[in-house]
Amino acid sequence: MSRLSRKIRKWAVDALDLPGDLVFDLPRLTMIGSKQLLIENHRGVVHFSPEELQLELKQGILTVEGAELVIKAIMPEEVIIEGRISGIKYQGVEE
Amino acid sequence: MKSSVLSRLRGSVTIVVRGEHLERLINELAKEGIEIWNVRSLPERKMEMNVHLSDYFSLRPLLKRTGCRMSVKRRSGMPFMLARLWRRKIFIAGFLLFIAIMFALSSLVWDIEVQGNDKISTEDVLHAAREEGIYPFQWIFRLQKQDKLSAELTRRLAGTSWVGVSRSGTRITIQVVEATRPKEQELRSPSHLVSSFDAVITHIYAERGQLEVKKHDRVRKGQVLIAGIQGNGYVVAKGEIKGIVWHEYDIEVPVVRKQKVYTGEKKERGYLFFGKTAIQITGYGSPGFAEFQILSELDPLSWRSWKLPVGWMSEKLLETTEIQLKLSARQAKQDGIDRAVRDIYAKHGIESKIVSQKILHEKTDNGKVYMKVLFEVEQNIAEELPIVYDQGE
Repeated sequence: MSRLSRKIRKWAVDALDLPGDLVFDLPRLTMIGSKQLLIENHRGVVHFSPEELQLELKQGILTVEGAELVIKAIMPEEVIIEGRISGIKYQGVEE
Repeated sequence: MKSSVLSRLRGSVTIVVRGEHLERLINELAKEGIEIWNVRSLPERKMEMNVHLSDYFSLRPLLKRTGCRMSVKRRSGMPFMLARLWRRKIFIAGFLLFIAIMFALSSLVWDIEVQGNDKISTEDVLHAAREEGIYPFQWIFRLQKQDKLSAELTRRLAGTSWVGVSRSGTRITIQVVEATRPKEQELRSPSHLVSSFDAVITHIYAERGQLEVKKHDRVRKGQVLIAGIQGNGYVVAKGEIKGIVWHEYDIEVPVVRKQKVYTGEKKERGYLFFGKTAIQITGYGSPGFAEFQILSELDPLSWRSWKLPVGWMSEKLLETTEIQLKLSARQAKQDGIDRAVRDIYAKHGIESKIVSQKILHEKTDNGKVYMKVLFEVEQNIAEELPIVYDQGE
């Protein structure tokens, strides 16, 4: 994606008030308390252990931290995580 | 895991995968569209996950590609349950057989009861019922409808006005209502009607036979009133002939009448009895009166309807006394006539009619009234006399 097209898209998002996940393939996270987390628009699992789940995004990596993490369900672009979630971190996402 | 009920029906397997590239396996599975759920990471590079049974066999190429190994931890859902049940098929067959036998036995006719038959024998009713398909060990569902059965049975059984068939459980009740039929006349040999008394005829009603007398005729005892002849043959003469008959009564009525009455004094005695032997227990001593009547009552030991030959007997001694009633002459006379009238009715039938009565002679002697009374009574005088055939020489 060229610099120009990104700029146009950014302008469209701002001007037309469109949701960013549709236009930029950004992840959409839906969290219910600290128990359940639904992540859409991911690109696959990088690492999975009871304490940490790393998901590949279009840009960078999303790390979910917690305890007793369980992948409740996984589909090509969606994942539902359950457990005691304590933190969500982004790595390598450009501003 | 969309619906728990559906996934239970489809059956699922909990597997444990082991290998270096577990994350890649998960990604591959997700890409292939194989549904997995409850993915849990275990120590030593192991992961536990659930897969549908139908997806189980498509796991193998993916495992090979990612270099993982797999072992089955738990199987759950309908397909596995059925497989487990199938291993105990004899037990299940027995259970089903038991239910089938229970059902079969309860849909058999076990008992047939016939009610309300008096002249028609139970065997006849059962025989007719058997021909209509009602018999023990018949299937209930093979019976016809009750209204049809009852109509057929009524048709088959002569002498019934209605037959009802009802079923309660495994018992069939056949309710018979018998038709009332006119009494069959007994066969009688030809006979005449003859007079039973000397009489004057007052009323004639001849039904059959040849009338031999007229009204106001004077007939003698034994005279033929209606001959049992009709045309050339003999018949049973039938009819009613009334006539006036004279009855003479000698009546004696005591003027003084003695009657026993209770005074109200009584004494009770109690006995224990064994068979024919009784031992007095209570009520010793003289009763204190001379004339009495004894009323005794047995009260044997009994259980339900069985009576033992052992028990208690109670005796009541009731004092009696004799009183004398003196009748007036008129009363005594009326008493005597009443008694005679009752005698006439008893002897000659209640439809007899006393036309007149006449006291021929009357006297009082020794405390008694003697009377001779003549009654004129209109009564039935016809009497049957069988005709004796002349057999010839």
